[in-house]
Amino acid sequence: MEKRLVRLKVNGEERDVAVSPNETLAEVLRERLELTGTKMGCGEGACGTCTVLLDGKPVRSCLTLAVEVQDKEIVTIEGLSEGAELHPVQKAFIEHGAIQCGFCSPGMILTGKALLDENPQPTEEEVRRAISGVVCRCTGYAKIVEAILAASDST
Amino acid sequence: MTEHELVGRRVVRIDSLAKATGEARYTADLTLPRMLHAKVLRSPHAHARILHIDTIKAEKLRGVKAVVTGKDATGVKWGVFSYTRDHELLPANKVRYIGEDVAAVAAEDEETALGALELIEVEYEVLPAVFDPLEAMKEGAPQIHDHAENNVNIHVPIEVGDVDRAFEEAYYVREDRFVDTEYTYCQTEPYAVLASYDSAGNLEIWTPNASPHTKAKALSNLLEKPLSKVKVRRVFTGGAFGGRSDIFPGEFITALLSMKARRPVKMVYTREESFTSVRQAHSMVVDSKIGVTKDGRLLASEIKLVLDGGAYSSTGPIATSVPFLVWEETYRLPNARFNGYRVYTNKPVRGMYRCHGRAFHGGLGMQLDMIAEELGIDPLEMQLKNALKAGETQATGSRITSCGLSEALEAAAERSGWKEKRGKLPYGKGIGMGANGMMVGFPMGIRGGSAAIIKFNEDGGATLISGVVDNGQGNESMVVQIAADVLGLRMEDINLVSADSEVTPLDQGAYSQAATFVSGNAARAAAMDAKEQILDIASDMLDATPAQLDIKDGKVFVKERPEWNVWLGKVIRKALIDNTPVVGRGSYMPQVDQSRDWVSNPQGQHAGTFSFGAAVAEVEVDTETGQVRVTNVTGAHDCGFAINPMAVEGQLEGSVASGGVGATLLEEHVWDGGQMLNANMLEYKVPLSVDMPQIVPIIVETIDPEGPFGAKEAGLWGSMNMFQAIGNAVYDAVGVWIKEFPITPDKVLRALEEKERGS
Repeated sequence: MEKRLVRLKVNGEERDVAVSPNETLAEVLRERLELTGTKMGCGEGACGTCTVLLDGKPVRSCLTLAVEVQDKEIVTIEGLSEGAELHPVQKAFIEHGAIQCGFCSPGMILTGKALLDENPQPTEEEVRRAISGVVCRCTGYAKIVEAILAASDST
Repeated sequence: MTEHELVGRRVVRIDSLAKATGEARYTADLTLPRMLHAKVLRSPHAHARILHIDTIKAEKLRGVKAVVTGKDATGVKWGVFSYTRDHELLPANKVRYIGEDVAAVAAEDEETALGALELIEVEYEVLPAVFDPLEAMKEGAPQIHDHAENNVNIHVPIEVGDVDRAFEEAYYVREDRFVDTEYTYCQTEPYAVLASYDSAGNLEIWTPNASPHTKAKALSNLLEKPLSKVKVRRVFTGGAFGGRSDIFPGEFITALLSMKARRPVKMVYTREESFTSVRQAHSMVVDSKIGVTKDGRLLASEIKLVLDGGAYSSTGPIATSVPFLVWEETYRLPNARFNGYRVYTNKPVRGMYRCHGRAFHGGLGMQLDMIAEELGIDPLEMQLKNALKAGETQATGSRITSCGLSEALEAAAERSGWKEKRGKLPYGKGIGMGANGMMVGFPMGIRGGSAAIIKFNEDGGATLISGVVDNGQGNESMVVQIAADVLGLRMEDINLVSADSEVTPLDQGAYSQAATFVSGNAARAAAMDAKEQILDIASDMLDATPAQLDIKDGKVFVKERPEWNVWLGKVIRKALIDNTPVVGRGSYMPQVDQSRDWVSNPQGQHAGTFSFGAAVAEVEVDTETGQVRVTNVTGAHDCGFAINPMAVEGQLEGSVASGGVGATLLEEHVWDGGQMLNANMLEYKVPLSVDMPQIVPIIVETIDPEGPFGAKEAGLWGSMNMFQAIGNAVYDAVGVWIKEFPITPDKVLRALEEKERGS
């Protein structure tokens, strides 16, 4: 398939990439930009592991075509911390033991961040609803919910 | 509260920073220069002879660098035991399930590899197939392996006491059948392999795994290469739950492709392939007969278990035995007869999943409640009467050295308000209880132990070298926490090199619940050995005897006068100058009966120690839809000693999801013959955050005499006792026993209708 040159704004940097029209954002991030912090758990939009932020909203990068998102701000897990300073959601996940195998953590953390940007004082129910699109098989979600609440203004 | 500096405290795990920032690299994230991408051609038939494979067109496709079929394999079959070697990982002549590996391609990119698969022509002779284990055992059923008559793969018979007489003497006897469909691990990380072979014959492998040493040994056998040339490297692993323990075709095939192409090859499975072509849990039929005394004591237990093993043995003898062993590890069984059959069918291969069997643990646990009901005994009483205690010996001869089962039962009952709720909640709401006991470190021959080494840098920091494997549980952090505590260092002062079959000493891996008990003990011993050396050297420097010294905050000091101290770095430097460099060595092998065998000799000490637990679940049953919702879980786990209570809680909470809401209510595979119909995460339902109950985790500490600081294990709790707890709660809510797992709405509605018709 013929490739097209697209300009993507990822983690605040403009990157020019030649992509096929059928290439997903997840593939471009992982394979061309080497941003492997974005994980692929199913490739069919069911598990939420590949979640990245698109203009601040969580999206499944495995269901998003790279050619569609040229004018948008893309944030991956690698772009969340500012230098050595971790984002409060990252810190809370670490301190509250919300990370076990870690495979869902990037998608989970970005989803938590997007929620708190929109709703700085969520209830537990709102946190559970917000992360219900990301599958975790290790934690039973208890400490993930606890971490997001701890990073919010609710506590 | 702990008297230790580090162990027993809620510490941040050493691996969490890399995982929170996206720096942690899993197998699919890895790339090597000149790396190729691989794909497998899979069988569309459940049972067929391979007559001919033509790969010429595929080989000629631009970008294709290697194609392999069964002809490229050595013909050596894989089996966990010498008597279960039945699996050609790339079969030359016959396929036995839909999704089995037939040929594979390595190409410049995945798209080319996929295109090449379409050019491979395979001529099959389709054979009759069988998909139900009870059918497969009948005369005249299609025979799947030439060596296995009636398709019986494994038969484990266990007989203890005088069972027939005990049934005659029993006051009350009941028999029930419990059934379980297949379910699966569904780890968030799909299966993947990276293999790299060089001209000197070194093969390096990265793959999510529970034991690099086991993988390396198996691959060295299968590829007929010296073990020193096969190097399985450490890589972050996205969950295991038993599903990364065995040896899979993927790693063998990727290695073959790399050897043939002389380039690194990466193969990443789709989610569908991860479901069908790695491992899944056994389905089973359990016929259980229990006899009790008038006051509810277990007198006799007779069980026939038929497991659907799928096409190959995998960990068959273990899978066939473990359900019974877990039963005898929980309750006092003076007379018991067990016949476990693992049967071949033309379905994907079944492997280790937690402790094997919703129908088994859930069923027998419900049977205890049924008996309690008949005899008018409170289920908690029934549990307490039959629960094993420290000092007792289990049916097949394992002595229990520490046991908090009764304590866990009472704690879970009290915190959940059991007495106020059981039998007293309004119709539609219910509360139920479950219990479990679990082996920690079982006989695995030379592979059952662990060793560790600790060396020091001249700045006082250290590197711990351990075979410990972390699939997400926190095992890496656990050994560092232990070593740092012993050495009076901060966790960040110790680097860990782990899970590398070439570099690290042999270790059993994240298997048989042994990481804390065995690898933790080895790390502790290595740290204690190093400490002894350090104190010896420092005693000259501080003019004191080693016994008068200790280490804290990186300083060796005189206990009576802490202001007399010397920086650890200085001690290390002195040791180097004196040609006595500090290198700590430690090892541990659980005290088990090594002559015990799963099939031929199921007698003797089976594990180093045993963990215990109890759970209380509260449910709401919607009688219109049949939907069961778990609202609260109170869980108490005797982990011996919680090295990191935050990690122990995490294990417990996780098993409420996987064993409780997931396995008990949601998860099952649906089939059309040998074709799995829901090999995707949209239709294979796993619990989401909104499905989860409120969880109260309770840690029970019994300080095991052998465990490191008294610790046993923390992982296997709810994945055994939640089935019973929820099943019993459903009965308490609406008065029906659901004897088929998972407890889905259709089964609840059917049972309610039958109950209505019956009354």
